[in-house]
Amino acid sequence: MYRFNYHKPDDMAAAQQMMADAEDGVYLSGGMTLIPTLKARLASPTDVIDLSGLALSGIELADDSLTIGALTLHSEVAAGNEILSLSNLALAIGDAQVRNRGTIGGSIANSDPGADYPAAVVALGATINTTAGAIDADDYFQGLFETALKPGAIVTSVTFPLPGRAAYEKFPNPASRYAVVGVMVAETNGDVRVGVTGAGPCAYRQRNFEQALADNFSVAALDGLEVDYTEFNSDIHASAEYRGHLVGVMARRAVAQII
Amino acid sequence: MEDYARVVDRFVGFGGRTLEQSGQYRILAARAVVWDALNDADVLAACIEGCESVTKLSDHRFDANITAKLGPVKTKFKATIEVSDRNPPESYSLEVSVKGGMQGFGKGRAEVELAEDQNATLLSYRVEGNVGGKLAQMGSRLITAAGRKMADGFFSRFSERWADTI
Repeated sequence: MYRFNYHKPDDMAAAQQMMADAEDGVYLSGGMTLIPTLKARLASPTDVIDLSGLALSGIELADDSLTIGALTLHSEVAAGNEILSLSNLALAIGDAQVRNRGTIGGSIANSDPGADYPAAVVALGATINTTAGAIDADDYFQGLFETALKPGAIVTSVTFPLPGRAAYEKFPNPASRYAVVGVMVAETNGDVRVGVTGAGPCAYRQRNFEQALADNFSVAALDGLEVDYTEFNSDIHASAEYRGHLVGVMARRAVAQII
Repeated sequence: MEDYARVVDRFVGFGGRTLEQSGQYRILAARAVVWDALNDADVLAACIEGCESVTKLSDHRFDANITAKLGPVKTKFKATIEVSDRNPPESYSLEVSVKGGMQGFGKGRAEVELAEDQNATLLSYRVEGNVGGKLAQMGSRLITAAGRKMADGFFSRFSERWADTI
């Protein structure tokens, strides 16, 4: 690890001011990605601004939505809430240590292509609330580690509309538990959405699956549908073509859970 | 330099990652103009994301300093680019070697071809390379996606330079 200045602000304005003043600052949430990166000397920020002193934790239920504070741990979401599929998703992230440190805001701000939460954000049509305004799920994920989050802005919470039915299925890497492919299928107010993570550079909606399921919500409706895998990730764990195949398999399993 | 190449070769056998990427862009400029730009250090510097400087030492050799940023990773690299098979204004090949200290190293070859297409130029490229070191080990699941993003980013920024001219 290289030397850096450590800050732990206790209010949002101070945190943003510290970022603005830093020569090359980074925000620290749970640190499940940032800390290993710093330890491997793959980044050398001048300032690390620890957000854990901000009051951004907790789960709040409204009439038709659930708002989860950015610093809420995966284990807290996994412990149970009004969206069962979201609890199940959180329970399948990493291991117990990761779930007790990692946060939903960190996961969404980082936008790792293998992260689980982005599939739920996309499939449930969530809203990402930030210090620079709210961002719709469809506009948020833009590419490999690229999001619509403005430079210096902080994710404060994520608001998920309560779905009528939803399920998440993933094919985890057996060592890291990152999603080789993860698919969430959700029906919210009659609107079917299919969110895919792990396969491409960032989470996206599988629109042809959505249309087929909107006409006929069944496993069979997905038979024979093609997945364009030309832009998919390819690594020693899975080729792009294999990931393309897994999108269909995971989507069928998710649908089978909720019909 | 030879020592370095040997280290890369050895490392590639022990977990180095292979990249392959190709693409084609239609550029709204005459072929001679595109060729000149491909050999202009300032243009190259403007098109490489995170590039701090490009120095043209000769028609056959460029040196570049690059800060690569990908998610949480942000690290400085020195790249040397050797131009071979130079066939103006149609094609050239680039041998690129990258050194980033203990963080990683890489070696690659890019083939670039320019074809005339009415008032425009069709640029085709093919890149292959190997990456080793800590960056490749830690980021093995991300290396191909990152390579694609960098190559595509370079050529799309390059072709956008003429987006409004025709």
